[in-house]
Amino acid sequence: MKLFEYEAKTIMSTVGIPVPNGQTIKVAEEVFNLKVNYPVVIKCQVQTGGRGKAGGVKFANNVDEAYEIAKKLLTLEINGIKTSCLLIEPKTEIEKELYVAITLDRGKKCHILLGSSEGGVEIESSDSVKIVPVKNNYSPYFGRKLAKEMGLEGQKLTMVSEIINKLYFLYENHDLDLAEINPLVFTKDRKIIALDGKMTVNDDAIDRQPFFQGWEINHMTDISERELKAKIAGLNLVELSGKIGIICNGAGLTMATMDLVKKHGGEPANFLDVGGGANESRVRRALKLVADNPNVKIILVNILGGITACDEVAKALKAFALENPDRKIVVRLLGNNQDKANEIMKGTGIKSIDDLDQAVKEAVALGEPA
Amino acid sequence: MSILINKETKIIVQGITGNMGKTHTALMLKYGTKIVSGVTPGKKGQEVSGVKVYDTIAEAKEKTGATVSCIFVPPYGVLDAAYEAYDAGIELVVIITEGIPPHDEVKIIRRASELGIKVIGPNCPGIITPGECLIGIHPGIIYKPGKVGMISRSGTLTYEVALALSNAGIGQSTCIGIGGDPVIGLGFIECLKLFNNDPATEAIVLMGEIGGTAEEEAAELIKKEIKKPVVAYIAGRTAPPGKRMGHAGAIISGGKGTAESKVKAFKEAKVEVAEVPSEVVDLIKKVIKIPVKV
Repeated sequence: MKLFEYEAKTIMSTVGIPVPNGQTIKVAEEVFNLKVNYPVVIKCQVQTGGRGKAGGVKFANNVDEAYEIAKKLLTLEINGIKTSCLLIEPKTEIEKELYVAITLDRGKKCHILLGSSEGGVEIESSDSVKIVPVKNNYSPYFGRKLAKEMGLEGQKLTMVSEIINKLYFLYENHDLDLAEINPLVFTKDRKIIALDGKMTVNDDAIDRQPFFQGWEINHMTDISERELKAKIAGLNLVELSGKIGIICNGAGLTMATMDLVKKHGGEPANFLDVGGGANESRVRRALKLVADNPNVKIILVNILGGITACDEVAKALKAFALENPDRKIVVRLLGNNQDKANEIMKGTGIKSIDDLDQAVKEAVALGEPA
Repeated sequence: MSILINKETKIIVQGITGNMGKTHTALMLKYGTKIVSGVTPGKKGQEVSGVKVYDTIAEAKEKTGATVSCIFVPPYGVLDAAYEAYDAGIELVVIITEGIPPHDEVKIIRRASELGIKVIGPNCPGIITPGECLIGIHPGIIYKPGKVGMISRSGTLTYEVALALSNAGIGQSTCIGIGGDPVIGLGFIECLKLFNNDPATEAIVLMGEIGGTAEEEAAELIKKEIKKPVVAYIAGRTAPPGKRMGHAGAIISGGKGTAESKVKAFKEAKVEVAEVPSEVVDLIKKVIKIPVKV
C-alpha cells in the first residue's frame, strides 16, 4: 500500500523528522481559509511517479494565484491516475538537496540504506547513490556510515544520520517496503527538513499494523474497479490490453499460460490466479470478474489440480456456462478428481483439452480470428 | 540417491492441528513420508492421522529423533515457529506458509544462515524425492523416480513440467520448490551445487520467473562450475513492469528482473531455454544419457 506524501510526512513528524507545516485541501475554495504564509508550494497527491514533470507541483505568491492553481491541479490526472487532494506548504529556501531511502535488497537478503548528496528528480538513474547494507540488527552506526559515504562531515553528518535513525525506526515498526525522503534539504538557515516523503506499507503486513487498519480501500486509486473487487475477494487479478481472458491456479502457471497465448499469436486480457485449493464459489467469482471485462472475447481456463479439486472447478464452469450460453470458453482441467470433473461437464458443451499447447492454440483461434 | 531428503528422513510438522497441517499430514503419510510427530502449543496429547502432537519442538524432537520440520503455521507465527525449530537443533526447515511479511523473512533467513541451518521457502510447495519422501504440498502422484533434478520458484508450474516429464517416461531425482517470495532460504545457486554433487542426478531443470536477479546469478554459476546439463524455463515474458504477478517476488521494478535479461543470461551460459513448458521435455531428452522408456 503506497501512502500519499502528506500521510508519509505526518508519520515522519511523529518521530521528530522535521517536515514543512502543510495542510491538505480537496476543493479549491478551501485555500481562502488556510493559515499559511505565502509564497507556498502546491503539490498534487497522486499515487504515481513523475509528478513534477507532469506539472503537478506549482508555486503561488498569494491567495488568488493559489486558488487558480488549485482549481487546475485538482483535476489533473497523471499517468491516468486522478489527483486525490492537494498538499499546500510554505515554500522552503533550499541550500542543498539530498536523498535518503531504506528498502529491502532481495539479492543480499537484508535491508539497505541508500543515500546521495544529489537529491532531486533523476536520482534513480544517478551514479551518486551510495548503499549501506544493514547486515545485522540495525544500529545508528549504519546511518553514520551512509552519511559519511554521501560525503558529509561534522554537524551535517550527524544531522543526516539522525534522520536516517528515525526513518529506520518507522521502516521497521510499520513493516514498510520503502521509506524515502527526496529531497531531504539543508535550508538557508541551516536546518534540515524532509521536503518530500514516500512510504509503502507491505501488503502482507497490514493486518498486524493497527495504525493502517481500514486504509487500503482509499489507497487503491491505481487499479481498475474489477482489480479492486478481485483484491477484496482475495484473488490476484492484473488487467492487460488483450482479448483472451485467463484463469489459472498458481502464479507461475498463470504467467506461463499468458506467455503461451502470446507465443501462439494472441494477447492476454489479464492475469488471474485463483490460488491453491480454490472451490466452486471462488472459481465462479473469477469467471465473473474476467467475463465483466468488455475486452474479453474468450476465456481460457487452465487448472492443474494438485491441491485444487477439478470437480469443484467443473461445477463452477457448468454454472457459468448455463448462465452465459454465448460465452466462448476453452478449458484445460487436469489432475485431482479429473474424472468427476469430466462427468460434471458432460452436456454443457465444455470439454477439457488436456494438452496445454493445444488448448492455448484453440483459445487463440477462437479469440483472435485471422 | 537424492538431495536433502530420502526415505529415512524423519519429519516434524509444525502447525499440525490447523487445516493445512491436518490435510497435508494425511497426504504426506499416504505418500510414505516418515512424519514422526507434530507440534501445536497447548495441544499435547492429541493425534492427527495417528501422529502424536506435542507442545514444543524440543520434546517432539527428543522423543523421535526428527531432523526436519515442515511449517504450516499462519504467516505472523512463522518467525517464532522457525526460531523454535532452530533452537531445538532442526537441520532443515521447510516453510510452506504464504504471506509472511518480508521484515520477518529477513530475520528467519539471517538467523538460519548464522546457525548453518537450511531453509526451503517460504511460500513454496516444498520438496519431494519421488517414491521416497514428500515434504510439503506437491501432488505426489505426478512425480516418478528418476534422474532429473528440478528447482523452481513456482508450484503449479513445477507440477506442469513434472507431469510432462513423467508422461514422457522421464523420472525425477528430487524436486525443490524454492518459493515465490523476495527473500527465501535455499536458492538456485545452493540447489544447483547440491544436484551437481548428487550421483543420482543426471540433468537439472531450472524454472525461474520475472523479478530479482537469482536466475542471472544462477547462469553465472552454471557457466563456472556446474558440470551437468541444465535446461531452463522462465515464466512472465508477457508480464507488464511494476505489477506484482501473484507471487510477492514476481515483479519487474526499475527495469530489473525482466524475462529477457534472464533468458539472455542463460543463453550466454550455454543453457538451453525452453520457450514453452512442454519444450522442457524435448530439451531434456536431448541431454539425458539414460535410454528413455515410454
